[in-house]
Amino acid sequence: MTEAKEHLDKIMQELRRGTITIGALSQLSEPQYGYSLVTMLSDKGIHVEPGTLYPLLRRLEKQGLLESKWDTNESRPRKYYLLSKTGKEVFDLLVTEWKSIAASLDQIIENKRGDENGDD
Amino acid sequence: MEMINRYIYAVTQKLPQSQREDIAIELRGLIEDMLEERAGQGNGKENDVEEVLLELGSPRSLADKYRGKKKYIIGPELFDTYILVVKIVLIVMSSLIGIGFIIQTILEPMSILDHFIDMIVSAVTELPQAFGWATFWFAIGELYGGTKQKDLIGKEWKPADLSPIPDEKRQIKRSESIVGIIFYTIIIVFLAFSNEYFGIWVFQDEFNGVVPFLNEQTYGSYLLFIFLIFGAGIIKECLKLVAGKWTYRLAAYTTIVNVISMAAILFMISGPDFWNPEFMNQLVEAGVVTAGSEAFDTITTIWNQSTFWILILFIVGLVWDAVDGFIKSRKK
Repeated sequence: MTEAKEHLDKIMQELRRGTITIGALSQLSEPQYGYSLVTMLSDKGIHVEPGTLYPLLRRLEKQGLLESKWDTNESRPRKYYLLSKTGKEVFDLLVTEWKSIAASLDQIIENKRGDENGDD
Repeated sequence: MEMINRYIYAVTQKLPQSQREDIAIELRGLIEDMLEERAGQGNGKENDVEEVLLELGSPRSLADKYRGKKKYIIGPELFDTYILVVKIVLIVMSSLIGIGFIIQTILEPMSILDHFIDMIVSAVTELPQAFGWATFWFAIGELYGGTKQKDLIGKEWKPADLSPIPDEKRQIKRSESIVGIIFYTIIIVFLAFSNEYFGIWVFQDEFNGVVPFLNEQTYGSYLLFIFLIFGAGIIKECLKLVAGKWTYRLAAYTTIVNVISMAAILFMISGPDFWNPEFMNQLVEAGVVTAGSEAFDTITTIWNQSTFWILILFIVGLVWDAVDGFIKSRKK
């Protein structure tokens, strides 16, 4: 059972990598700073470590999907990220892709279950 | 607080200069946010910092995530060849240093201690140098190869781009290059560090010394050229080893390398002070020939013309090597 758990951990890590990007993009139509995004996602059931999210936000900014702005008015300076125009387009496309993948996978998994039940 | 500073320093230290400040501010904000949240839950203060830092992970792994990709001096593509070349060069050099010690001891057994110290000094100074130079040139290759790969990504790859499997004649045998590298290393070590033994060995019942071919006074300043000429040979063999088959590009590189060695040889050999100016007199003094004899005249002629013929030999060899590369590249 522990072996299965180890495999699961590895595969889940790969699986999560892409979904975190979608999760982060989904919350950034309003400006957010890194840690507020961590809490927001966590409240919605998506757990992401800050050590993963912060570098990801930077990468997305570099790719032009996000824009950023330092806010120095608060007690500590914070970098706020917001979807760029390209970012919005990419996010919409991603959502369509995701839905189609989810639908296909659902169907495959359901069929498999159906087959197994039929065998019994 | 001190621990947080240390953590931020450890992370940013591993990042490019341009991003350090930005990421440092961001990280500090993040850690303070995380601490604040924990404090809100009413936990002790001291442990919180440690827990937060543990959650962020080791500075190395966090810096890796920020960097996105790994960096190499010598990447995985070149690494095997690099190790091979370093092994060859180091093994050949250590054997030569050992052999040098044995020969010197046989010739002059009385000063065995001096020879032994010479051997240790050679090993300590020359082996790291050889290692350093090999690493330097491979690092240059990695740098150049790396940028080349980036250019290629821009172009769309087509199956038609696949180059045909090279036939036997175009393939470069690894053994060929390895022998080449061994050969050049031997010459470098011999010429650079035992040049006083490069000459006519005089034996009369026992070893009586060497009449050197080269001018020992000026030799030091020519050493650089020796390294250049034969070092270029090693670089050429490494290029062949990495390429694995003859292509026009490779042939062009070997030609460039050959032209450089040829220029260095020309400059060196045609200089007035390269050869031992007292060679003939010393031969007579050593009792090998008698002045005015027929043998003396013959040797004088050979000695005076040797520069010309050695030059011709080198040029023919290098030109042939370059032409041969192009011919082999053309074979389909």
